[in-house]
Amino acid sequence: MEYFTYDDISVGQSFSFEKTITEEKMNLFLQLSGDNNPLHCSKEYAIQNNFNSRVVYGMLTSSFYSTLVGVYLPGENCILQEIDIKFHNPLYINEKIKIFGEVVKKDDTFKRLEIKASIRTEDKLISKAKIKVGVRK
Amino acid sequence: MILKKLNEIFIDVFDDEDILLTMETTAEDIDDWDSLAQINLIIAIKDEFNIDFEFEEVATYKNVGDMVNAIKEKTQN
Repeated sequence: MEYFTYDDISVGQSFSFEKTITEEKMNLFLQLSGDNNPLHCSKEYAIQNNFNSRVVYGMLTSSFYSTLVGVYLPGENCILQEIDIKFHNPLYINEKIKIFGEVVKKDDTFKRLEIKASIRTEDKLISKAKIKVGVRK
Repeated sequence: MILKKLNEIFIDVFDDEDILLTMETTAEDIDDWDSLAQINLIIAIKDEFNIDFEFEEVATYKNVGDMVNAIKEKTQN
């Protein structure tokens, strides 16, 4: 886990990491959230409705925005204050994603960062997010 | 003029077209005006008026009138 203080962080600083959503993670998220919409749970249903396969939960991929700020940028001193997510394309199980975030603004009065973030596969944009986090130290 | 601009900022931050500020408006008059909203307000004010605030002074504002006076003072300097 990173331990950046507010003063350590600069506008333009960025971080990225990769993840893959497996069948197991989908099942765990189903248990946690109770979201049993067939678009996420039934391959046949998803295909009948013009998707390639079961669609990965948007909020499951977006949980990596939490990881981005809470573990890496700024890491331990993070307090998530606001997140605005826009979803662009469906993600399917076992597709590799890259989570990227860049600090675009610092506010010295409140020690708050604005981070522009995105989740992409090799060839498509899955979602974009504007994240506001406080930095405790 | 400042109050009018401030009103636009409040409408934007609280996503509420019905907000109509007076100098006496306080946090008790506007739903969801909590500490996080206060941060969003002050940062929006800083950007709009190109001024800066110290964390300690923000905590002393009791109503919109205090904000207007602070903005007036800072933009005159």
